[in-house]
Amino acid sequence: MRILAYLAKRLVFVIPQLLGIVLVSFLLVKSIPGDPAVLMLGPTATPSAIAALREQLGLDQPLYMQFLIYVRNLLHGDLGTSWQTTRPVLEDLLQRFPATLELVTFSLLLAILVGVTLGVYAARNPRGWVARVSDLYGLSAGALPDFWFALVLIFVFYTVLGWAPAPLGRIDMIVIPPIPVTGILTIDALLAGDPEAFWSACSHLALPVLTLGLLNAGPILKITQSTMETMLESDFSRYEVLCGVPQNLVVRHALRNALPSIVTIISVLYGFLIGGAVLVEIVFSWGGAGQYAVQGVLNSDIYPVLGFVLFSAIFSLIVYIAVDLVYFLLDPRISN
Amino acid sequence: MTSKLGLLLRLAVIRPRFAIGYLIVITMTLLAIFAPVIAPYSPTEADSASFLQPPSAAHLFGTDNVGMDIFSRSIYAPRIDLTIAILGTLLSAVVGSSIGAVVGFYSSGRGIRVWLSFAIMRAADVLQAFPVFVFAIALVASLGQSIQTVVLAIAFVNAPIYLRLMRSQVLTIRSMRYVEASQVNGLSDMQTIMRHVIPNAMAPVLAQLSVNIGWGILLTAALSFVGAGVRAPTPEWGSMIAMGFQNVVTGQWWPSMFPGAMLAITVFGFSLVGASIEVVADPAKRRQLLSEARERTARTADAPVREG
Repeated sequence: MRILAYLAKRLVFVIPQLLGIVLVSFLLVKSIPGDPAVLMLGPTATPSAIAALREQLGLDQPLYMQFLIYVRNLLHGDLGTSWQTTRPVLEDLLQRFPATLELVTFSLLLAILVGVTLGVYAARNPRGWVARVSDLYGLSAGALPDFWFALVLIFVFYTVLGWAPAPLGRIDMIVIPPIPVTGILTIDALLAGDPEAFWSACSHLALPVLTLGLLNAGPILKITQSTMETMLESDFSRYEVLCGVPQNLVVRHALRNALPSIVTIISVLYGFLIGGAVLVEIVFSWGGAGQYAVQGVLNSDIYPVLGFVLFSAIFSLIVYIAVDLVYFLLDPRISN
Repeated sequence: MTSKLGLLLRLAVIRPRFAIGYLIVITMTLLAIFAPVIAPYSPTEADSASFLQPPSAAHLFGTDNVGMDIFSRSIYAPRIDLTIAILGTLLSAVVGSSIGAVVGFYSSGRGIRVWLSFAIMRAADVLQAFPVFVFAIALVASLGQSIQTVVLAIAFVNAPIYLRLMRSQVLTIRSMRYVEASQVNGLSDMQTIMRHVIPNAMAPVLAQLSVNIGWGILLTAALSFVGAGVRAPTPEWGSMIAMGFQNVVTGQWWPSMFPGAMLAITVFGFSLVGASIEVVADPAKRRQLLSEARERTARTADAPVREG
């Protein structure tokens, strides 16, 4: 019951925030110069055709009316139409968002693996060489521009060594993609029982995941290390050490208690990466949602941008709520 | 302030990596200032006879696909990147932390000011919920692409960080005796904030500045990389990386690798400087480092180290 009450309270706060996000992004993209009607019809359009299309799109209405119309359409599941793809934005996003999600999720898993492992080792021995290395790693990983690091990896593993496939999309051109079920290629390939497609999707994931995973492990590493240090110095750990509990077990108990902070930083990173993967998507021609939004901004195609902002806001929201539920599981004190 | 500077210098001796940070930042600043003296070629003029030349004695970093000298362009680039990042960060720090100080000062009690503080914090929530890069690129697009709008975009996306930082500082400082004392002595709220609250809340803001300048450089380069920031012939690291993009895939690594490495080293330098300021600003960390230093000096000589 407590959880339900909590969720209800959370939603009450969230809806005005979502409205705020839609309003701000609407005003922002509406002020991007460029008339969609002119862009859609091309340079040869007659003024009367442009005027007719403007009227059809509602562009002749005052701004607040346009906003109300957009919100009304949103409530009916209509996110507008992209003039670049000439398709409904919702369809486009449902196709592209899983691509981003797949990339970001695998990257996050790699970041967790690197960050938590190094963090725990560094905390066990704060003056050892692992601690020094992870300190430097944390500082330098945040300093590398991801789009450049991606290029370095492409140069080494594609151009020189020839191990990785060309950075052009999510699957080899000659491989027939599996029937979309989830839109996540690796899962769809497994569902279809197609090892060739699965392998191709994995090999295309390798470099972008390496880029994002390695460069975003820094925050996880830092939080794991500092929380673990605190936990290992706290009374319950000292008591265990005094009682002669083996060190591995002491560390495991400390980690169990450090999990809430680690889960928090992971959730923040997850939300951040949905938008933060844009540049890597562009470098690898990933065809993801972020890339779609950036193309939208650069071509005065506003509905894809609005749709993406909305999608990523809702995604972050789901992640945060899921994390709060995880807290209930991790820390029995909260639910009392 | 001088004792703080002395402390920074002492830290650089204890932790060599901080010294490296200072060295990088100073070098990049000097490169930016003296680029016209150092650069062997013009940063914007192409010699179409020698395009895509690998690194050599004549062209240290090689030439790009239109024949511009990459070394010259790379050392002109901090002029643009550093200026944009520093201006953007300073702007966001000044605007964000002044609003944050006022909001923190008025965030309890009753009346219209409390509601206003609440509204400002919720607005900050909304701004921070945006995907940073898409937000920045949309800002630049709607304001019109120029160096000034990139500065504004950096200021805008970073301002909520300072707002929160300053607010949380002020929340603890507000209940201090000296704040009450200044109010009892008849200073207005604004005078109290300016003279007593802000100076005492500055330390974490300063630590954040250097880190944010690094992020600002990354964001500038990222915007230019997708063609939404600084435009091509102007020497800028991000747009140089973009120019060399296709060449890297076909094996000519130098047009992208050198500017990217310069960019990464610079951001790394600013994060190191930020980390050192963080140590100075955090009494616990400072004590730990200084005691470590004392141990070391005690071992080598008997000279006592005074607390700064």
